[in-house]
Amino acid sequence: MSKERVSRRQFLSYTLTGVGGFMAAGMLMPMVRFAVDPVLKTEGAGNFIATKQKVSEITDEPVRVDFTFKQKDAWYESEVTNTAWVYKNGDKIVALSPTCKHLGCTVNWNTDKEHPNQFFCPCHYGRYTKDGTNIKGTPPLHPLDVYPYKEKDGFLYLGKAEPRKEA
Amino acid sequence: MKWIPQEVETYLNAKEYVDTAVVPLYSVSVGGEMKQSAAAAEFITLLTSHLERQFTGRIVLFPPFTYLKNDSTEKVFNELHNWESSIFQSEFKHVFYITSEIEWRESSEKLKGSLIWLPAIPLEQMSDSQKLTIIDSQVKQLLTLFTQKWHENM
Ligand code: FES
Repeated sequence: MSKERVSRRQFLSYTLTGVGGFMAAGMLMPMVRFAVDPVLKTEGAGNFIATKQKVSEITDEPVRVDFTFKQKDAWYESEVTNTAWVYKNGDKIVALSPTCKHLGCTVNWNTDKEHPNQFFCPCHYGRYTKDGTNIKGTPPLHPLDVYPYKEKDGFLYLGKAEPRKEA
Repeated sequence: MKWIPQEVETYLNAKEYVDTAVVPLYSVSVGGEMKQSAAAAEFITLLTSHLERQFTGRIVLFPPFTYLKNDSTEKVFNELHNWESSIFQSEFKHVFYITSEIEWRESSEKLKGSLIWLPAIPLEQMSDSQKLTIIDSQVKQLLTLFTQKWHENM
């Protein structure tokens, strides 16, 4: 008989287990996040994505290059299109991220008539020189991020944009 | 900035720079017009999210204002008017409504914010890169409208 009935004490211990389990789960969550994060990061790095840009056609005038890839987060896979400003500096290729280092608007090349040949951010009039250096006195405090690149079969491949190492 | 906690937090810390609210408007209909309704919603959604990418640092993209197509114009208008008052009461200086519903054109003068109307382009049959080209060219036109408005009030 006593095996089947839940006694007061048992009941109490069940509820406590319940609460304990709940708390443990709460503690586990942040740990899982820490454990998962670095994995996610390494997956993204080192992947070069093909663009439609022929390397031989890159000149010293920055052009916009869009490239699309699939990105997977916890919920769904989506197509993401990123943009780079690409030009040649001597025989080196420069690929800059268009994301303004102030608050993240998209910067454009040579659209501000008063300051030609600069990258211009329409949001708060941030400006950068051609090599991506932020111009003092405008809101951005850091240079534009730089994409690592590779050439494969004549086409430009871009990696993940990284902050420029301050000289 | 998008309507997600991380970006809203950035907004709260940089309010003095982010002075513009963007509210997509679209209606929902069921029955025979359901598909059309979904297509228009897709267009507005893609358009506004692309716009948000260009202007991340200066705008907050609000969740869409949706209403039933069959609802009375007056009711819908009053509702939006409530949104508008609340948004202006916080620290936003500019509000843009983006819609493909022609009905709004009549109410545009009664709104303090700017209403931008664009005919919905059916994107259903297009490849992703075609979609992007179309949306991009539409957004370019919006960009000038936005920058003009910002200039006026400098
Ligand atoms: S986001 Fe570019 S200047 Fe503010």
